[in-house]
Amino acid sequence: MDPAPRRTISSFLLRGSAQVGLFLILVVLWAVFANLAPGFLSKFNLNSLLRSVAVDIVVGFAQMVVLATGGMNLSVGAIGVCAVMFSGYLMQVLGLPIPVAIAGTLALGAFLGWLNGFAIVKTGVNSFVVTLASASLFSGGMLILTKAVPLNGLPPEFGAFGKSAVGPAFGSIPAIPSLAVVALAIGLGLYLLFKHSTLGRQILAVGANARAAEMSGIPVDRTIVFVHALSGALAAAAALMLTSRLAAAMPAVAGDDWLLPSFLAPVIGGTALSGGIVSVVGTILGALLVSTIRSGLLVLEIGNFWLPLFLGAFLLAAILIERGRAAYVAREQARRAL
Amino acid sequence: MALTVDKASKSFPGVRALKDASLELKPGEVHALMGENGAGKSTLIKIITGVHRPDGGRLLLDGTEISLNSPRDAIRLGISAVHQERNLIPRFSVAENILLENLPRRAGLVDYARANAEAKKYLEMIGLVVDTRTEVRHLSVAQMQMVEIAKALSHEAKVLLLDEPTASLTGEEAEALFALIKRLKAEGAAILFVSHKLEEVLAISDRVTVLRDGETTLIGEPIANMSRGRLIEAMIGRAERIAVVRPPKPATGAIKLEAKGVATAAGHRDISFTVRRGEILGLYGLVGAGRTELARALVGKDKVTGGSLSIDGKPAVIRSVEEALKRHRVGYLSEDRKYEGVVLLHPIRFNVAMTIWDRLAKVLGFQTAAGERKAAEPFARQLEIRTPSLEQAVGNLSGGNQQKVSLAKWLAAKVDLLVIDEPTVGIDIKTKAYIHELIGKLADDGLAILLISSELPEMVALADRILVMHEFRLVDGFDNDRSYEAMSRKVMGAIHRHADEAVAAE
Repeated sequence: MDPAPRRTISSFLLRGSAQVGLFLILVVLWAVFANLAPGFLSKFNLNSLLRSVAVDIVVGFAQMVVLATGGMNLSVGAIGVCAVMFSGYLMQVLGLPIPVAIAGTLALGAFLGWLNGFAIVKTGVNSFVVTLASASLFSGGMLILTKAVPLNGLPPEFGAFGKSAVGPAFGSIPAIPSLAVVALAIGLGLYLLFKHSTLGRQILAVGANARAAEMSGIPVDRTIVFVHALSGALAAAAALMLTSRLAAAMPAVAGDDWLLPSFLAPVIGGTALSGGIVSVVGTILGALLVSTIRSGLLVLEIGNFWLPLFLGAFLLAAILIERGRAAYVAREQARRAL
Repeated sequence: MALTVDKASKSFPGVRALKDASLELKPGEVHALMGENGAGKSTLIKIITGVHRPDGGRLLLDGTEISLNSPRDAIRLGISAVHQERNLIPRFSVAENILLENLPRRAGLVDYARANAEAKKYLEMIGLVVDTRTEVRHLSVAQMQMVEIAKALSHEAKVLLLDEPTASLTGEEAEALFALIKRLKAEGAAILFVSHKLEEVLAISDRVTVLRDGETTLIGEPIANMSRGRLIEAMIGRAERIAVVRPPKPATGAIKLEAKGVATAAGHRDISFTVRRGEILGLYGLVGAGRTELARALVGKDKVTGGSLSIDGKPAVIRSVEEALKRHRVGYLSEDRKYEGVVLLHPIRFNVAMTIWDRLAKVLGFQTAAGERKAAEPFARQLEIRTPSLEQAVGNLSGGNQQKVSLAKWLAAKVDLLVIDEPTVGIDIKTKAYIHELIGKLADDGLAILLISSELPEMVALADRILVMHEFRLVDGFDNDRSYEAMSRKVMGAIHRHADEAVAAE
């Protein structure tokens, strides 16, 4: 017997999921930045923000799917670098059609991820250790093969896609960049996977309690290999998006730079490091939060040296506010249960 | 020290765990705390040990009101608990574990000579003979428990809480523990003894407090005035149900599983038996006899290294639990509910549907929560799982209800053979009787059941035949004539005979 919903802030906070708090924080930040720096809401800034956040979101997804099983993938960046260079090789050196190059790159990512999963399952060694080693292995192999020479002669259509947008623009609000649409489409696919598929449920069962899952007839090893292959494919997808955005394949753009954001977005968004709980929407909001703070500080022309400090402070504050909201919800529910 | 809980109340989201519960613990007494699962025992213990703060009511120590903000506060005041979940550090030595918070130091470094000497003092107090330098992980469960008690003594505990201390002890080990409890009592300790086992409570405690649905139905009744029946009545609100005894029935169903000379990686040799549909085959043995290990080999979790298995008359190799379930329709209800039976984080419907996702899946493996709820509903109703909704996380249910969820999962899977391992460990009397009744009914409906239990009354009440396992071998087997005395004589005789032969062989 729920009491009739009252239109108060407290009831709004209560009914919302964990992601509502994150959304509110985002809205407040946008309002603050828009007020302090008019440049923040400029068409140019919003467009560049959305295009870069699109890549961050998919990088976050690549980590999220492995976190779901309670593991982690430290080689998302390394796989990303391999995929960047491989896509360039396929398009520029071999001159393959773009769709074939995309399929080939995704397949490479999935294969490298599969190698991770296979090694983890066969050796029984923790995913942290295995992917730490494979990260060096993958990026080292890529450096030897490519000699770290950037490939600048990609087909122009490929670069054009990274700058294109969908739908009409309204005043200062720009049309939605195609890259953001790609990120949202991938998000929709993952949402369906976790919310509405056997495989997604198996992943969450393994993440929450691998022993109980195995003793209930769930193929735990196969599930773990699958998430790593999926993680590799998602890292490759992010690499393709990045290559398209920069219209060039450069080895220095991914790698270690991806590691922190890959964890930040899902974890801020409510994905449990211990496994069993994921949030696709949360990962999107988490990536948005990180990018918003970074972009806002850039627009405010805060010195580059200050950026990490402010970024850290803002993130901590955002996480604390969300924790506070969650605690408030728990208290309220306890009170109402009486 | 006397500890008094005066009308304590505590609520959690969705449940009122305690309502005006009172308890009065005096020095020099063993005070039993009883109640079904979910009656509020754990909550009361957590209030006394400073884990939870009560919403209402008072806590008094020697008549002065105290307020506990953390387990540390409780320990500082001399209240120590020995929990079911052991709080020892496996790779630390006995001495390090006992003196963990105040290891003696010299020049900033741990003074091991003094630590060992001091720890030895506590071990002597409780009469445990082990080297204080041994790592705790090498000890037996009973020894670990003793070390925990030694640790409590090192905190100068005057109030000692023992939470289900005999749950994983053998009869002999339990006797040793009781002797220790009596000694501590004689020295003036106030001991709160939490147990499910009526006999233990009647044998060892002086007074008893009983919780039912969060309220105290008996407060500090002298045990001399109590009987089994009255205790049970206080716990469940009516007199004990007589254990269900299945009428003897000739096994006529088709043979579901046949083992011939099976050997396993775990160490079994020459295991042969058959289980028929509609039959409950009991597998009895002492703790460590190798029963659970055999079950794990049968469902593909461990390796079968010799002999042969056949299922439905055809030779079968079972390489994984998945294969056992999907190809051979064999399931395993684990004894380790929390770690192997259920996924605590996820809702009831998710847990029940876990074994049947393949069947629920639509195009491209499409699943919905509604589909799972629909599939889980009949079983939740059949098993009377007490919950406001199937969306409730299993971690929020009581132990008995968790076990029902674990069982529901296998009923939903419609297996032909279910290996049931210690189905009623740590489960309250009412749910226990209910689960017994259910197991009987399942067999009547044609399920083949291999029942593993170390409780002989449970075996005698349920099994059609009883196999006896000792040291990873089947040493004998009997038809169950439903007479507890006769069966226990036969079973114990078989075990002793085998033990004697083993000694003679050496």
